Amino acid sequence: MTEILTFLGKEDQYEKYELFFGPNHPGMHGNFSYILTVEGHTIKKVDPDPGLLHRGFEKLAERRKWMQNIALIPRICVPEPDINEVIYSISVEKLMEIEVPLRAQYIRTIILEMARIGAFLFGFGGIGGATGLYTASYWTIADRDYLLDLFEWLTGARVYHMFIVPGGVRRDLPSGWIEKLSETVDYLQKRLYEYDRLIYNNPLIVKRLKGIGKLTKEEAIEYGITGPNLRATGVKYDTRKMVPYAAYDRIDFQIPVQSDGDGLARAIQRREEFQLSLEIIRKAIKDLPDGQVRAKMPNPLKFNVPKGEIYVKVESARGEHAYFIVSNGKDKPYRMAVRGGSYTAGLVLAQKILVGMRIEDVALWMSTMDICPPDFDR
Amino acid sequence: MILSSTKELKDKGFEQILDFFRKKSLWMLHYCTGCGAVELPPTMTSRWDMERFGMGPMATPRQADLLLITGYLSVKSLKRVIYTYEQMQEPKWVIAFGSCPINGGIYYDSYSVINRLALYLPVDLSIEGCMPRPEAIIDGFTKLMKAIEKGEAVGYKKYKENYEWYKKNQREVLERTTPVL
Amino acid sequence: MEQKELIEHIEKNFKYKKEIKVIDGKQFTITVEKDKVLNLLSFLKLIDFKQLALITAVDWIDEKKFEIVYILFSYSHIQQILVKTFVDRDNPQVETVKNLWDVASMYERDVHEFFGIDFIGNDDLRPLILHNWKDLPPLRKDFDSLKYSNKMFGKFKKDEEI
Repeated sequence: MTEILTFLGKEDQYEKYELFFGPNHPGMHGNFSYILTVEGHTIKKVDPDPGLLHRGFEKLAERRKWMQNIALIPRICVPEPDINEVIYSISVEKLMEIEVPLRAQYIRTIILEMARIGAFLFGFGGIGGATGLYTASYWTIADRDYLLDLFEWLTGARVYHMFIVPGGVRRDLPSGWIEKLSETVDYLQKRLYEYDRLIYNNPLIVKRLKGIGKLTKEEAIEYGITGPNLRATGVKYDTRKMVPYAAYDRIDFQIPVQSDGDGLARAIQRREEFQLSLEIIRKAIKDLPDGQVRAKMPNPLKFNVPKGEIYVKVESARGEHAYFIVSNGKDKPYRMAVRGGSYTAGLVLAQKILVGMRIEDVALWMSTMDICPPDFDR
Repeated sequence: MILSSTKELKDKGFEQILDFFRKKSLWMLHYCTGCGAVELPPTMTSRWDMERFGMGPMATPRQADLLLITGYLSVKSLKRVIYTYEQMQEPKWVIAFGSCPINGGIYYDSYSVINRLALYLPVDLSIEGCMPRPEAIIDGFTKLMKAIEKGEAVGYKKYKENYEWYKKNQREVLERTTPVL
Repeated sequence: MEQKELIEHIEKNFKYKKEIKVIDGKQFTITVEKDKVLNLLSFLKLIDFKQLALITAVDWIDEKKFEIVYILFSYSHIQQILVKTFVDRDNPQVETVKNLWDVASMYERDVHEFFGIDFIGNDDLRPLILHNWKDLPPLRKDFDSLKYSNKMFGKFKKDEEI
């Protein structure tokens, strides 16, 4: 009897082998690689291999003037580039003690929320792609284009806007833009209910996402997980609310939280935050004050920033995105360190949580955690 | 004499017919090497709909015809891209996006990004813009189709003929044993 | 706790030599000797600074020193602490904190690769991001990125190309 049982339950008969999950793998998000040690279908060891997107931003920023860096830094994060500009601008403003006009703060808020919605739409599409529900990715990517069109009208570029600069924003809103934005927000609200029917009420997706990569509150904090993934475990913390920047302290909103901390909770959390972003945009449009959009700044190519150091973080769609900037009083940054939102999730937590999962869950786990390789490659 | 010339004609004519069909079903390898890849989903999905040109994404290099270098290429990626390119079956073409693969672009002074892709792989076509808009990408694809029909896009033949030269350049970057500075 | 109470609490309970500087209402720095870093970090972890947001370094080449910065955050006090320490530039060594936080191991690997700082006790300092790197660690100030790029990738002429 025991012989039969050992024969049936014998996992050792599977040969151990190494699987290069990425960079050229259809399930991989972006240019990144996990070297998985696999037995049968079960993952036994994970060794992340980042660096395929490394451009050395931290070094390049030291070689460029304070204002020139604005053209460089949006390229750190592709799906949501505006957060980089806003962190950099806030750091420079804080070090130089510049007061930003209120209208510029509100415009920044609107831009950031639009970028966040764009990133969420990409994320929904990723979940659809990883579960084989390609309709979801077709819909979300087409809807994201409405936002990109608005960005193009406002800034002239679809993806890298370089619109938020130290002192405010580059120029005022064109006439008719706000009306178009309200229309788009109403449209996206309508579409969100369609997504509910397509994704969140779909028994297939619910069953597939339930229990993927379950995290507790303590684990999430210990591993430096931030943003929607942290809130999905039940921690009621949002940088926009607790350490406000831009105009978030003037806009009233409630932070949604989930309690389960698994893949489904994270997906639902993102859906709730999508709703929240739409609300914030509506409120910001309603309260949008008149006035200047840029504070008086010295000659952009000549100014020096006083000595000092600062750590500025904002809430991105993937978590806490932050820069640590040191200035030595010259015309270039002395040091700029980048903390990507999914650094710890993709490199450290993956080594622990993926062990015991099956190969097909890796892509799904990555899309529920919204792991973005430029965060750790920089 | 007559025989050889008719044979030549036959070969050439046959190749032309093949090229006509090849241009109508290009499969691109689904490998996002850089930031330009973020404009590929809109190109592939409903708004720009790449499939009306007979193009689609393909997961494995063995069945793909087209390798897209979407933007800058770090040294670590270059190694993977070369492996991938050599796995692809002929005929195969390479398209480079943006200014980064031409001269380094905004990363001209980076220690990790190569400056000129044409030294390591034969590039058939470059698309301008950072990053190229979906319209520009589709325009580039149609240009490549025309070049294929005319028999001008022969990067893979060039790679075979000058294999030693390309390998020397690749080895210089990838298998260095001494410090540069 | 508010920032003021928090600083008082740290002043009172952490006895070793230190220097506290306030940056703004939500963050302040504490500078300590390099052999007291582990003590301070475990003390801060006990008073609920549970998130290690980042470990990074700054190369002060004129003073011949590396500054290592540990950035901590507390979800209950809503305060950011930047713990700083200085190590000698010729012999950069500091004790690892990977026993306190798992995430530290990856940050230390990163800093080791880009600055050449050794973390005693962390045995996994394999190269993480760069491919086949033979030069000085790239984020040191005496490493010239443009010169490297020109020499490594830029030496071609238009007519040399095939």
